[in-house]
Amino acid sequence: MFLSRITVVGHSMEPTILENQKVLATSVPYFFIEPKVGDIVVCKANNSKKLYIKRIKKMQGRNFFVEGDNKKDSFDSRKFGSIKRKEILGKVIWTYS
Amino acid sequence: MFNFLPEQIAYAHCDIPCGIYDPNAAQQGAHTVIRMTQLLGEKTSPHDIARLTHVKEEHGERVEDELGTLENDYFKDEHYQEFKELKELIAAAVKLSVKVRQTVDMESAEELLEKVLQISEIFYKTKKLEPVRVKSPYPTEREIVVYK
Repeated sequence: MFLSRITVVGHSMEPTILENQKVLATSVPYFFIEPKVGDIVVCKANNSKKLYIKRIKKMQGRNFFVEGDNKKDSFDSRKFGSIKRKEILGKVIWTYS
Repeated sequence: MFNFLPEQIAYAHCDIPCGIYDPNAAQQGAHTVIRMTQLLGEKTSPHDIARLTHVKEEHGERVEDELGTLENDYFKDEHYQEFKELKELIAAAVKLSVKVRQTVDMESAEELLEKVLQISEIFYKTKKLEPVRVKSPYPTEREIVVYK
């Protein structure tokens, strides 16, 4: 993922990102620096082909614990566990409608 | 805008908001930890000690899981604002739930139960119910929190 526009499906990132909002995501920053807590990332989980959009909440070495901002209603690392560095595809750099 | 870029879909998937939350399971777990700690002070056979330790481990973990569910899925920002001590209470209880697994320590087990009871009281208050402490029917002879 060099640079992609992404349509968000679901409510788990509300209120930061609403359903059907579009975001720009890129892998470029992560060529130079490691993902950090607080980043909103596009990622995969458990070898799924689906892309997820979540926020990094904790890091343990090369494992990243990601959650939706809408914690009360999010399917995330609390259910599918931590994800690996290679499953983080890009960083969300801009949100637009 | 940016139509020249490839478009993909990313899922901000929801969990199922079942709305069914209850602090009783954490209370039962904390009582079981106390009971196992009591029995570990009485039994001497390696077999008994192994079984009691195993159950103590399981229920310490159960307390941690149940508190995690309340923390992550039930308690909302407004609860944390109204009950300023809630976040620290949960953090302390989770630490104790680990300590009671690592040790055979009645003081920590009782402290864990006390924290869980305080969290239970807050839980019922957020439901606009009046919490009350009553003597439990368990052999631990400690209290549980119910509501009127």
